[in-house]
Amino acid sequence: MDVTPQPQLLPEPRRLGTLARLAPEPMKVVLNWGRRYSLWVFNFGLACCAIEFIAASMARHDFIRLGVIPFAPGPRQADLMIVSGTVTDKMAPAVKRLYEQMPEPKYVISFGACSNCGGPYWDSYSVTKGVDQIIPVDVYVPGCPPRPEALLQGILKLQEKIARESLGERYADGSGAAGGNGAGPHPSPAALTSALVTPPPAPAADAGPADASAPGEGGR
Amino acid sequence: MITPAVSSLPAVQGLAAENLGVFGRDPWWLIIVKAIFCFAFAMLTVLFSIVWERKVVAWMQLRIGPNRHGPWGMLQSLADGVKLMLKEDLVVKGADKVVYILAPIVATIPAFMAFAVIPFGPANNEISIFGTRTPMQLTDLPVGVLYILAVASVGIYGVVLAGWSSGSTYPLLGGLRSTAQMISYEIAMGISFAAVFLYSHSMSTSQIVATQHDKWYVVLLPVSFIVYIVSMVGETNRAPFDLPEAEGELVGGFNTEYSSIKFALFMLAEYVNMVTVSAIATTLFLGGWRAPWPITAFWAGANHGWWPLLWITIKIQLLLFFFIWLRGTLPRMRYDQFMKLGWKVLIPVSMVWLMLVATVRALRNENYDFQRIVLYVGGGVLALLLLSLVVDVFRDRGRREPAESGAPGDRFDPMAGGFPVPPRPGQTLPPVPRRRPRGERQLVNATDTAETADKEQEGDNA
Amino acid sequence: MTETTVGIGGAAEGTDMVLNIGPQHPSTHGVLRLRLILDGERISHAEPVIGYMHRGAEKLFEARDYRQIIMLANRHDWLSAFSNELGVVIAVERMLGMEVPERAVWTRTLLAELNRVLNHLMFLGSYPLELGGITPVFYAFREREELQNILEEVSGGRMHYMFNRVGGLKEDLPNGWLGRAREAVADVRSRMDVFDRLVLGNEIFRGRTRGVGVLTPQTVHAYGVSGPIARASGVDFDLRRDEPYLAYGELQDTLNVATRTEGDCLARFECLLEQTHNSLDLADACLDRIAELPPGPINQRLPKVLKAPEGHTYAWTENPLGINGYYLVSKGDKTPYRLKLRSASYNNIQALTELLPGTLVADMVAILGSMFFVVGDIDK
Repeated sequence: MDVTPQPQLLPEPRRLGTLARLAPEPMKVVLNWGRRYSLWVFNFGLACCAIEFIAASMARHDFIRLGVIPFAPGPRQADLMIVSGTVTDKMAPAVKRLYEQMPEPKYVISFGACSNCGGPYWDSYSVTKGVDQIIPVDVYVPGCPPRPEALLQGILKLQEKIARESLGERYADGSGAAGGNGAGPHPSPAALTSALVTPPPAPAADAGPADASAPGEGGR
Repeated sequence: MITPAVSSLPAVQGLAAENLGVFGRDPWWLIIVKAIFCFAFAMLTVLFSIVWERKVVAWMQLRIGPNRHGPWGMLQSLADGVKLMLKEDLVVKGADKVVYILAPIVATIPAFMAFAVIPFGPANNEISIFGTRTPMQLTDLPVGVLYILAVASVGIYGVVLAGWSSGSTYPLLGGLRSTAQMISYEIAMGISFAAVFLYSHSMSTSQIVATQHDKWYVVLLPVSFIVYIVSMVGETNRAPFDLPEAEGELVGGFNTEYSSIKFALFMLAEYVNMVTVSAIATTLFLGGWRAPWPITAFWAGANHGWWPLLWITIKIQLLLFFFIWLRGTLPRMRYDQFMKLGWKVLIPVSMVWLMLVATVRALRNENYDFQRIVLYVGGGVLALLLLSLVVDVFRDRGRREPAESGAPGDRFDPMAGGFPVPPRPGQTLPPVPRRRPRGERQLVNATDTAETADKEQEGDNA
Repeated sequence: MTETTVGIGGAAEGTDMVLNIGPQHPSTHGVLRLRLILDGERISHAEPVIGYMHRGAEKLFEARDYRQIIMLANRHDWLSAFSNELGVVIAVERMLGMEVPERAVWTRTLLAELNRVLNHLMFLGSYPLELGGITPVFYAFREREELQNILEEVSGGRMHYMFNRVGGLKEDLPNGWLGRAREAVADVRSRMDVFDRLVLGNEIFRGRTRGVGVLTPQTVHAYGVSGPIARASGVDFDLRRDEPYLAYGELQDTLNVATRTEGDCLARFECLLEQTHNSLDLADACLDRIAELPPGPINQRLPKVLKAPEGHTYAWTENPLGINGYYLVSKGDKTPYRLKLRSASYNNIQALTELLPGTLVADMVAILGSMFFVVGDIDK
């Protein structure tokens, strides 16, 4: 379900991948080390969860010690977008647009039940059931709202993921401009849709966001 | 050599000329070494001060700050650098490409250039590098401080151009604010420097430090120092004067549309500017490379050899701490208030102060008794203070009066009638004794009575 | 005059600038959009564009039974979840003619006041942040964490307590909780001078808020503004005093309705601060009273299927941000026929149309921050 008019696809940042791809292995470790602990976060605070996001950045939980700096003034400087709260259909285009404004490599944490799958508003007429319908999500943090500790865990998971990945691989295969949902290069649209095209033989439950999350997380 | 006071002291002038002769005689490789040192010194101080800022602000906010990178989180700024280098380098569609790319470079390079004339040690060839005796300073000019002012003003072009070339509203507003800020505060800054020149008889930085051998200018010229401190915070766009990048109002200000390396350059420029203005403040007012007095009292060698480097570093770091302290403490000023502070307070005050200083110098040259001078000057300052206080009080009162008269006196009772809709302003309220006296209210049937009241009201409306 | 349209919040679209107020900016303002027409840095026309957070709560109420409604009701104004629950249960109790045990009434009052403190602390912290002072919010959250711990011990939730039930509360207070609550309240009170003096006494803070964004009592009435914002303009109206619900009738000597007459941003902040102090006092008074109460039930036994009788009622409470009302219409079903929500922020924010024109962009931030709204409360 795409709520926006198709945006004009921009050329993928090829030169970004080559630097990291050509770098020798120890260099890659160093580069990933740099990227891992320098996550300038752009808080897309939408609802209740944003308060818990703020609580996580405050003195008791303090994710700044993990290198997550919440002082990126705008999307242009951010590495990590944390979508915290209910994404409504009216809001969705803006979420997508701001995601597109972020420079690569960029990561998304979906914080809270509402942005994971709609949460308590699962039957609302105006709520987007899951932000992963419009942008690719790296880490899902469950809860309504999740505790700040859950966000810390999510950030640690993301850091592990960044440490493992290689920028070269990240951009090598995704070059064929990101398909229908314009979700950036990494989750190939096929991976996202295939689960829906061939439903399991069991009576198909409401499998949309829950299934989409699995390839989205594992596929990258 | 333009100050009139100098002409009456030919000896000092001669001294200045003699000292400046030291510069410009280094072999070419030494110049390169020194230039690299200046660059490295600025860079290292910046890297350190970014970490330091995060740590200090964190402590002020009951946090511990970044601690994942290296010991004590020391490498956090390095990691930020690595990451910014790896980010996608966006060029905004609506941007004027050439200027857009040029702007961060224009902002960064001048920030470093001022370091060329900062003296890190005495100017009399005390240290030797690979057998060549040389002053601890890249170079010096007879108009060193003017050079600093000139170079610093070029840096602001980067900000203005960045704001203009990004092709969107917020950066434009940020850039414009930055221009206005720069213009207003350069003046106050320049005037505060002029008082220093009157005392030092020179504009060369090494000479200014040399003349502070018994008293630092911060003691002699406290007003100039304060004016400079305020305007240096304004010049570097730091809190509480960080209007060009005010987050709440202008998102990121001029650098909203910048990412990756270009943003890193702006950030670098901001911090290098901080280091530069701190170094200037140290040189002009805080005795430059000189050790603080209790140390010199029992250790004569403190101002010789390589030691001055330590003192100037400590002083710069203290000033940087002051910057960070401000950021952690103060809210942002409003733009017009900030302009008012610049034009209506700083510039007049520093003008008057400059006249006072000039008067004192002139009287001393005429061999007047120092104590009487102090009396005159002190009296003048006091009178001025009094006057400003009185003016301030009156101005405030004048502003307050209309506000008070405008406030309505009578208490408006919105519950007096018309249940679902409160009566409109000006509508006369029918005397409906709806409220019961408090004594009757009881806990148990509080909800009940409220409900019945509601019912009544509904009935009335129906 | 050139017309420039500036979108605040990530919500602008089309040719507007898509820009967010800073990310560390509390999200309460994240998705409110303002259409401003600027003349230089001066605002000549302002129009709040709302609806970006509209989650359809009112419609969902109609598809939930009375126990489930509570869960949705506390989410529209996420900073005053307890008070939101309260309105719903009061309305349903009224329809049922149900009497709430005294213990529950006092505990509700206590928790509502603690919730009020939590809410106000958020704004006391975030307002300086919007003005560029980054530190006070950290101190506000230290106090918030302290109180949240207390509330979490009772209810299991840090923000959304779900502790109200029709006819009382979910369960009784844990053993020894009263002492811990008293300690926490005393701790918070002992550190409130951070805001009394450090924030409120700051010259720049006063300079940016004094005389800025003056809201006249006439505007207050015209737009139905309520809560601390209305009281800062001299409209002395507080449901806790003027139409006491819960146990407020017996707390009249402790309850002090903070009012100002200036109506500017500073007055609003002062009102909020004074009200926070007063809420701490009220919480103490409640704690005293609960300690004296004889042991007893804290809730009513409910039937398996809870149906409100046919009819309608309007229950309003003095929420931290203003008057929060629920108009409940029942046709005798498990679910309400209609549950209209009158939220405080919705009305409060409408006054921006009158407040903003003529001010500077910098003042806009100060005014917006001092209107103390929660976007979910606007959009429901």
